Amino acid sequence: MSHESATQHRSTPLLIATSAFIFIWLIVAAFPFFWTMWGSFKIQADFFSKSDWSNAVTGVNTTARYGHAFTGVAYEGAWVQQDFWRAAVNSLIVTVSVVVISLTFGTLGGYALARSTARYAFALLIVALIFRAMPHITLVSGYLLPFFKLNIWGYLPTAIIVLVAINQPFTLWMLRSFFMNVPRELDESALVDGCTRGQAFCYVIMPVMWPGVITTGLFSFLLAYNDFAVTATILNQHNQTMVPKIASFLGTTQTEGNVMFAVASVVSATAPLFVLVLVFQRNIVSGLTAGAVKG
Amino acid sequence: MNQTTSSVSIRGLDLHFGSVKVLTDLDIEIGEGEFLVLLGSSGCGKSTLLNCIAGLLDVSGGEIHIKGRNVTWDEPKDRGIGMVFQSYALYPQMTVRGNLSFGLKQAKVAKSEIESRVKRAAEVLQIEALLERKPAQLSGGQRQRVAIGRALVRDVDVFLFDEPLSNLDAKLRASLRVEIKRLHQQLHNTMIYVTHDQIEAMTLADRIAIMKDGAVQQLGTPHEIYSSPVNRYVAAFIGSPSMNFFSGSLSGDNFVSDTMTLSMDRYAFDGTGRQNGRVELGVRPEHVACDEAARDMPFQVEVDVDVVEPMGSDTQVWGSLQGEEFRFRVDGQSTLKTGDKVLVGIDPARTCLFDMTTELRL
Ligand SMILES: Nc1ncnc2c1ncn2[C@@H]1O[C@H](COP(=O)(O)OP(=O)(O)OP(=O)(O)O)[C@@H](O)[C@H]1O
Ligand SMILES: [Mg+2]
Repeated sequence: MSHESATQHRSTPLLIATSAFIFIWLIVAAFPFFWTMWGSFKIQADFFSKSDWSNAVTGVNTTARYGHAFTGVAYEGAWVQQDFWRAAVNSLIVTVSVVVISLTFGTLGGYALARSTARYAFALLIVALIFRAMPHITLVSGYLLPFFKLNIWGYLPTAIIVLVAINQPFTLWMLRSFFMNVPRELDESALVDGCTRGQAFCYVIMPVMWPGVITTGLFSFLLAYNDFAVTATILNQHNQTMVPKIASFLGTTQTEGNVMFAVASVVSATAPLFVLVLVFQRNIVSGLTAGAVKG
Repeated sequence: MNQTTSSVSIRGLDLHFGSVKVLTDLDIEIGEGEFLVLLGSSGCGKSTLLNCIAGLLDVSGGEIHIKGRNVTWDEPKDRGIGMVFQSYALYPQMTVRGNLSFGLKQAKVAKSEIESRVKRAAEVLQIEALLERKPAQLSGGQRQRVAIGRALVRDVDVFLFDEPLSNLDAKLRASLRVEIKRLHQQLHNTMIYVTHDQIEAMTLADRIAIMKDGAVQQLGTPHEIYSSPVNRYVAAFIGSPSMNFFSGSLSGDNFVSDTMTLSMDRYAFDGTGRQNGRVELGVRPEHVACDEAARDMPFQVEVDVDVVEPMGSDTQVWGSLQGEEFRFRVDGQSTLKTGDKVLVGIDPARTCLFDMTTELRL
């Protein structure tokens, strides 16, 4: 009795404190994004107003110019005039290719490394880790000269190859640890049930690996999608992906409106990420092997 | 049993993980349709041996033949085996039905045939009601039965069972034990069965192999293993409660220790033979006669009763013979209690003598 009321006493303030913390944290974390999104429908004179910051909220100048507090002029400028749609398509090509290639090699390699008892398997993983730990820009600067010489600088496939190289160690590690959680006996019982190694992998192991594949795929997607170092140095003007394109909007502030193009395209580039995470959050669950073994 | 051809033949099998030697120079011949039980303490290499036979581990030396074919380097799927894993290893993403039929689909068995085989296995194992569930929704015992079913539906020459009944309650275990025995009598497949349970071993086996540290100590019928164990380890391992051991020496026809002198003239000496020197005398608790019955025995001695454990049909008594522990079994109706003195009798013909140093049976 007394014990129960004691825990109740303690938990109420604790509940308030944790709720308050989470609430404040949410605001702090989400505010910049909502602020940017709000501002993207204004003109520069409002959002970057030197006289009064509240102009960004009320949109005085926007109303004065377009008769309404919200305007899509920054989006139109970025997407139509500045060909941001082309950057979006390039981003799509790069990210999808990077994800597909990294996951293909990652699942095959991760499975092999997880099941291998050879000593060099671990050495491989350590080498991969070192490779991954290097700053991306060191790899890029090493690649630049050969790429110029081979005359493959500037094209999307080149960027894809470099991004896969950077991402692959991580996917290997991650998928390997997911495979390690799939009991070896599952492979073995599939083998005894008449499967070849390949069939065991496809019919028995992969179906329980989806959460791992999706989680790893999501991380790979984010790496490729958000990359700046590689895409900015390797792609030419015409083949730019979204992030370097946004950076180039920011880089030319002499003309009014370009910084607003950056704001609008930042919002455009962020929106798909929300959708992606929301769609896949259900799949990022562990414990799909529950029931396989004793317990 | 008529075992003219051998079904599984293990010849000089060696297996080591790095420097850890798990199996050393193992030889076992298993006859066509034979039921062989592997019995041994935990960690002695039983699962490892099964994995070698199944082809899941690459052997370090020696050969494995199944049905007269050298399969040492064949893939598991080409060996014609079915296996029940110690850890079940059910496919978590499939229903029970999916688990049972997976191997059959893989072997391209006709749909109707799959249906009927799954149905029969489910009936035998009492899992008909669970067919549409996923393994995660089953209890440990139910999972184990599914694992057994997955092997049984398949049409293979050799079944490998790794402690298939270990997680079941006593009643279900007894009924499945009978089912497995019945299945074996119907199917006449060769079965290799690992267990810790002596009753399972005794009741199911055509022959039992007692293993210790990766080597077979004795391979024989349950009766041979029980009544003439080749060494002290086997004698102590088989039987519950386990055998009493008294150390003494053999001189001529007599076993002499501090507490007893037995004439061994009726002892068979079917091991290494008669040999004077330091020996141990093994007496099974169930072969000790008590009270009236003891008077007919060639050797009698008085024992103090320390602890009495009634077990229903009989009662286990922990006594002491001048400080040495002495276990024996009396009828369940017995009125013995702690502190009593009781006369017990031993028949030397039913005892075992072991050399003290080599531990081999004399
Ligand atoms: N991968 C491995 N590497 C090193 N040693 C191993 C490995 N697998 C098993 N062993 C060792 O081999 C020995 C035999 O193991 P095994 O699983 O065959 O025992 P078991 O007889 O089946 O025991 P239990 O009755 O507990 O299941 C054990 O001592 C174990 O420690
Ligand atoms: Mg085992």
